Amino acid sequence: METVDLSLVSLLLTFLLLALPVILSLKFGFGLIRSLFYSVARMTIQLILIGIFLKYLFLWNNAWINLLWLLVMITVAVFSAVRSSAIKIGKVFIPGFLSFTIATFVVIFYLNIVVIPLDNIFDARYLIVLGGMLLGNSLRGNIVGISTFYKNIRKDAKKYLYVLSLGASQSEALLPYLRESVQLALKPTLAAMATMGIVALPGMMTGVILGGASPEVAIKYQIMIMIAIVVSTITSVVLTILLTLRVCFNRYGVLRREVFVELKNKSNGS
Amino acid sequence: MYSMITFDHIHLAFDGRKILNDLSFEVKRGEKVVVLAKSGSGKSSLFSLILGFLEPDEGRVFFDGWLVDEKSVWEIRKKIAYIDQDISLGNGKIPDLLDFVLKLKTNIHLDGSRKQLQELLQYFELDKEIIKKDIEDLSGGERQRLAIIIAVLLQRDVFLLDEVTSALDKQLKKKVADFFIAREDWTCLVISHDPVWLENPAVKIFKLEEGKWKP
Repeated sequence: METVDLSLVSLLLTFLLLALPVILSLKFGFGLIRSLFYSVARMTIQLILIGIFLKYLFLWNNAWINLLWLLVMITVAVFSAVRSSAIKIGKVFIPGFLSFTIATFVVIFYLNIVVIPLDNIFDARYLIVLGGMLLGNSLRGNIVGISTFYKNIRKDAKKYLYVLSLGASQSEALLPYLRESVQLALKPTLAAMATMGIVALPGMMTGVILGGASPEVAIKYQIMIMIAIVVSTITSVVLTILLTLRVCFNRYGVLRREVFVELKNKSNGS
Repeated sequence: MYSMITFDHIHLAFDGRKILNDLSFEVKRGEKVVVLAKSGSGKSSLFSLILGFLEPDEGRVFFDGWLVDEKSVWEIRKKIAYIDQDISLGNGKIPDLLDFVLKLKTNIHLDGSRKQLQELLQYFELDKEIIKKDIEDLSGGERQRLAIIIAVLLQRDVFLLDEVTSALDKQLKKKVADFFIAREDWTCLVISHDPVWLENPAVKIFKLEEGKWKP
């Protein structure tokens, strides 16, 4: 079974569907038209570029280039995750990069070497595609995880110091925040898993089926990827938080205000 | 008498504003010292310096003979009971808070002190049922008394008390002050404007002005 290719005309016809949200927005004054077209344009351009890029990546299928591209993807993911946390990127780029790399590489090479297993474990079709799925999802988790962790500690600054004053070790004082942020980071993934197949057919499965594979193969890959996503998300969230602690707290266990973008004053200045 | 807390030529500034200016003093074991100062004069930062929440720009702080630094501070905190003026006990149930505090590694041996809780509730005139409440449902005065009770449960003998009686009525203020002052072996450094502290003859008063002691 071959996938039916979409001609340029068919693709343009897809855009015609957008008339519906445009009409709705005009009628009810959602004010969404600008951002709708901006996002659609960005998505289209980005995908066209990545399509061309992937074509060559698959064509060359060079292990080094594939690995390098995966590292580029990780770098972008780290920047996006850190930006949401209001931490200065220069301070936590290295710990963030290490966490994402460890979490992604461990899971991906476990899949490529042990689970699938591939003759060429650096094969672009697996390395890049699986890497993208894992990173996209752990990025979402990390955005929630890191920002919740640091936001809550900053919000609770007095309570956190109170706990330290009680004689708590730093891990005792931080554990409640770590728990809460990891739970929150995992929530969407766990919820999506619990309804998978019933409420929605996941993107990867749809893609594999449209690509000509049987639903049985699609389901097996989907199960594999969902487990990989949960593992890489939780690993990268926990690692990112743990590895950034050394940078974001001083050796007295106090949050370094200068690490954050907008807070520069010393704490407890009363 | 043995020096419990020593400030040795401390300088501290925030955003270029001098808060403490070559400040030196000591609190001896068993002393009750009240620091009197205007708000914004840096008196709370005295406590932050002892607890390692702030580092001085110059000078040294000693606690029980130890220089307060990044290594010793973790042990020093285990010997101090600190109550902040805003008493940030967080939200949630009071039993969960007590559980959290008493299950910290350093406090685990105190689990038996829960019995003492009932006596303290009674002394500080809190209803027994109060410990079933949510922290956010407590009044300011109830929160202050709960924080005091927790501090006492920790069985430490150095107390840093920052405006701990501000939300209490006159009779309770006196009860709290008397409670701490009566214990001879307890060292208390107190920030307060309250006459119940200031008028007690057992209390030593330090007046802080422009980062220095005023006679």
